[in-house]
Amino acid sequence: MNAQAVPAAVSRSRRKSATERRPAAGPDRPLLLAVLTLVGLGLVMVASASSAIAERQSGDPFFYLWRQLAFAGFGALLAVGVWHLPLRFWQQAGPWLMPLGVFLLLLVFVPGLGREVNGSQRWVHLGPVNLQVSEFVKLFVILYLAGYLVRHQAVVRTSLGGFLRPLALLLIFAMLLLLQPDYGAAAVMLMTAMGMMWLGGARLFQFLLLLAGLAGSLALLAWISPYRMERLTAFLNPWADPFDSGFQLTQALIAFGRGEWFGVGLGASVQKLFYLPEAHTDFLFAVLAEELGLVAVLAVIGLFGFIVLRAMAIGRRAEERDLPFQAFVAYGIGIWIGLQAFINLGVNMGVLPTKGLTLPLMSYGGSSLVVMGIAVALLLRVDRETRQAGQGARPW
Amino acid sequence: MSKPLHKPVSAFRLAVVGGVVLLAGAVLVWRAVDLHVFNRDFLKNQGDARTLRVVPVAAHRGMITDRNGEPLAISTPVDSVWVQPKVFATAHDRWPELARLLKLDPERLQRLVLARQDREFVYLKRHLSPQLAERVMALGLPGVNLQREYRRYYPAGEVTAHVVGFTDIDDRGQEGLELAYDEWLRGTPGSKRVLRDRLGRVVRNVEQIRKPEPGRNLALSLDRRIQYLAYRELKRAVFRHRARSGSLVILDVHSGEVLAMVNQPAFNPNDRGQFRPAQTRNRAVTDVFEPGSTIKPFTIAAALLSGRYRPDSRIDTSPGHYRLGRAVIRDSRDYGRITLTTVIQKSSNVGASKIALSLPDALLYRVHTRFGFGADTGSGFPGEVGGLLNDAGHWRRIEKATLAYGYGMSVTALQLARAYAALADDGRLHPVRFLRVEKPETARQVVPVRIARQIRRMLEAVVAEGGTGTRARIAGYRVAGKTGTVKKAAAGGYSEDRYIAVFAGFAPASRPRLAMVVTVNEPRDGVYYGGQVAAPVFSRVMAGALRLLGVAPDAAPAHPVRLAALGRPDTEATP
Repeated sequence: MNAQAVPAAVSRSRRKSATERRPAAGPDRPLLLAVLTLVGLGLVMVASASSAIAERQSGDPFFYLWRQLAFAGFGALLAVGVWHLPLRFWQQAGPWLMPLGVFLLLLVFVPGLGREVNGSQRWVHLGPVNLQVSEFVKLFVILYLAGYLVRHQAVVRTSLGGFLRPLALLLIFAMLLLLQPDYGAAAVMLMTAMGMMWLGGARLFQFLLLLAGLAGSLALLAWISPYRMERLTAFLNPWADPFDSGFQLTQALIAFGRGEWFGVGLGASVQKLFYLPEAHTDFLFAVLAEELGLVAVLAVIGLFGFIVLRAMAIGRRAEERDLPFQAFVAYGIGIWIGLQAFINLGVNMGVLPTKGLTLPLMSYGGSSLVVMGIAVALLLRVDRETRQAGQGARPW
Repeated sequence: MSKPLHKPVSAFRLAVVGGVVLLAGAVLVWRAVDLHVFNRDFLKNQGDARTLRVVPVAAHRGMITDRNGEPLAISTPVDSVWVQPKVFATAHDRWPELARLLKLDPERLQRLVLARQDREFVYLKRHLSPQLAERVMALGLPGVNLQREYRRYYPAGEVTAHVVGFTDIDDRGQEGLELAYDEWLRGTPGSKRVLRDRLGRVVRNVEQIRKPEPGRNLALSLDRRIQYLAYRELKRAVFRHRARSGSLVILDVHSGEVLAMVNQPAFNPNDRGQFRPAQTRNRAVTDVFEPGSTIKPFTIAAALLSGRYRPDSRIDTSPGHYRLGRAVIRDSRDYGRITLTTVIQKSSNVGASKIALSLPDALLYRVHTRFGFGADTGSGFPGEVGGLLNDAGHWRRIEKATLAYGYGMSVTALQLARAYAALADDGRLHPVRFLRVEKPETARQVVPVRIARQIRRMLEAVVAEGGTGTRARIAGYRVAGKTGTVKKAAAGGYSEDRYIAVFAGFAPASRPRLAMVVTVNEPRDGVYYGGQVAAPVFSRVMAGALRLLGVAPDAAPAHPVRLAALGRPDTEATP
C-alpha cells in the first residue's frame, strides 16, 4: 500500500531534478566521505598488514592489495548500479531473497563447490574468487525484514505472533550459519533483526523475554558444558594462557600497546610479521592501532559511529516522509554496520570473545567489501529518495 | 487516494538505539585509551619478550702468519644453517628440497629434527659457503635460519699442519699452536639484540649490547719457504725409503726460533675427515726415540770438560769390541788407537763408551741435562714430552757405557736440535721459540766456548772424507753434523732389522746459523744408516734454507770438502 506512494514521488522528483534541482539527486556528501575515508584507510592497512604474509605465500607483497583493489572496483560498480535502482525493486524482490539465501547457504555444503578454510565451511568456490555467502545473506535478511515490517506493521506492534513469525524464518538461517560454523555472522544477523524489530515497534516485553531466554541458555551452557563457557570467556583473561587459547588476542593487545599515541609508523608493525594471525582480515584493526596509534583508532571509531548515526538520521527522515521500507532498510544497514564494526573492534581490543568477523569497509575480503558497497549505495539511495520525496507536496 | 500513512516509530525507540551506539562507542574509546596509554608498558614488555632476542655475534679469530707475514691460518666468514624444529615442522613437505641442497640424507634430517621438537635451536649443517647459504634461504622455508660463523682455513695445508694445529667446528683451538695460543687468538664474542619475526628470522638489529672483540694475530717463527722445502724433502725421503714416519726440525741457532718443523705422515687441516692421531701428532715434539750416535758429541763434551781429554787425545778401540758383563759393545770394524775427533768421525761405540766409563757419573749427567736432555724445552707446545734421562748415581756400568752412544735415554727431535744449536752457538743454549723473536732472550752458557768450538771441528770431520756423514755436504758451505743409526727397542732387547736413521747438524760450520735434525723412522728399502737416509735430506734442505736466508757461503766452491777435512785449528774458526 505504501509502496504506491513511492513511484509517484520518484517520478515527480525525477522531472524536477532533471531541470533545476540537481544537488538533491546527489549522494549524501558527509556519509560518502566517511565511507570513502574508511575504505581508503582500509586499503592502505590491507597493503601494509598483508605484505609479509603475501610475500611468503605468493612472492608478491602486494598480492592481497591488488585483489582488494579489484574487489573495491567491482563493489563500486555494483554500488553505482544500486544507486540508480529504485528501492521499490528491492521491496518487491524481498520475499524472493529468502529462498535465494537458503539456496546459497546450502550451496556451501555441496562438495566441490563449498570451500573449507580454517575448519569452517563458509565459502562457495566461483572460479578465481570465493564467495562468502553469509555476507550476502545478512543483506537479504535486512531487505526481507524491512518489507515484512512494512507489510505487517500492525501485527508486529500488537501480537506475539507477528514478532515470532520472522524470527522463526531467521532461525533457519541461523541454523544454517551455525552449521558452517559461523557464530559471528549468525549473531550479527539475529541482532540486526532484533534492532529492526525494535524500531519497527515490537513490544518491549518481547525483547525482555528474549533477553531472559538468552541469559537462561547461557546459564544452561555454563552448567552443562563448563569448558565451552570457559572458551567463551577466555577473552577476559588472555594472559592466563598466552601461547594457546589466548595467543591471538594477546598478540593483538600487544599491537595496541606498541602503538602508543601516534603509532610505530606505517609499515613498521612487528605483530603483522606472523605473530598476529589474520592480520589483514579479522585483526586489521590491531595492525592499524600499532602502526598509526591511538589517534587513528579514535578516528576509525568516530567514523563508524558517524556512519551509524547518519544511517539512523536518514532512516528517521525517510519515516517522516512516509517511506517506511526505505526507513527500515536504512535502520537495518546502520545497525548492521555498527554492530559488525563494534564486534570486530571489540574482539580486537579484547572486550568481546574472539569470533571471526571482518571489519566492514576495511578488512580484506571480496564478499564483505562488495556487499558493503551495495549496502552503502542502498543507504545513499534511501537518502536520495527521501530528499526527492521531501520536495514533493508532502503534508508533514 | 486513501491510504493509511505509515505511523513512525516513537522517537524514544530511536533514542535508545542512538544511546546504545554512543555507549558502544564510549566502551571502545575507553578500551582503546586503556590499551594504548595505561597498559602500554605491560603490553610492550610482553611484546618485547616475544620478539626481542639476544644473539651472540661471533668474533673473528686472529690470523696466524709465518715470520714474514705469510698467512698460515685465516678465518673466513661462513654461514651455519639452524632451525627451530617446531616452526620448521610446518613445512614438512618441503624438507626433501632442503635436504637435497644441503646434501643431507632426508631420513637423517627427519630423525634429527623430529627427535628435537622441544628445542629452540638445532644445527642442520655447519659452515656453508655464503653462496650456498643464500640458496638455502631462497627456499623460504619457515624456521630456517643462518648464523654467521668463522671457518678456519689453512693456506699451507699439511705443510704447516702439525705446528699450526687446528680448531674445532666452534672455532676453539684443539691442537698445536692453535691450542697453545687459543686465548690470544680467540676474540670475545659480542652480543646484540635483534627483532625476530615469528618464523625466527631477524627482521631488525635493535642494538649492539657488546661489540665482538676480534682475536689478535700471531706471527710464528716459521719461515714458510723453508717449511715447504723441508716438507717436500722429508716426504720424498720417507716415501722413497718406505719409512713409517719422519721428522725434521730447523732452529735458528742464535735465537732458538723454530724456522721449520715438519713430520710424516701429515694431514690436511682443511679436511676434518682426515683427523687421526697417527697423522695429527707433531712427532717432532711428542715422540721420543733413543738418539744413538747423535749423542756422542755430548759425551765428548763431558770428556773435554773433565780436563782429562783433548781433541787429539787417543783412545784404544782395538779390537773393535769389548765385553762388559754379559753385553758386548762393538764397532763396525777395528779402528785401532784413534783420537777423540776420529771417535766422532767414525762414530766409534767402543771409543765413546770407554771415554764415558772413565768420567764421573755426575759430570756426564750434568752435561746432558745442561744441554736440555731429560726435560722438555719449555716451548709450551701442547703435548711436548721431555724424554728420558736416568739420574746419575743409579747407573750400572753397562748403562753408563751405552748412554755414551745414545741408548738408555730418549729425546725428541726438537730437544736434539736444540742441543746441537747450543753447540753451534758457542755453547749457548737458547729457549725454543715458536713465535717470531724480536730480541733474542739471554741464553745459558752450558759449555765453554772453547769446548763448543772444538766439538764443532770434530763434527765437521764427520762430513769430511772418511766420515760417516759425507752425504750431508753442501756445495759452498761448511757443514758440521753427526749421523745416527738407532736400533729400535723391541721386546726383550733391540731389534736387528728396525732402525731410525738420524742426522743432526748445523751450518755454515764457520759461523753457524741453522741447526737441523732429520729423523726417518724404520726405512724399509734396505738402506737404513743415518748417513744414507737422513744425511741427504739434511744436505738438500740446509742448502736451500741457507740460500733462502741469504747466508754467505763459507767454503771455496771448488774445494769444499778438502777445507773441511783439514781440521783447522780452533783459532781460525772465529765466529
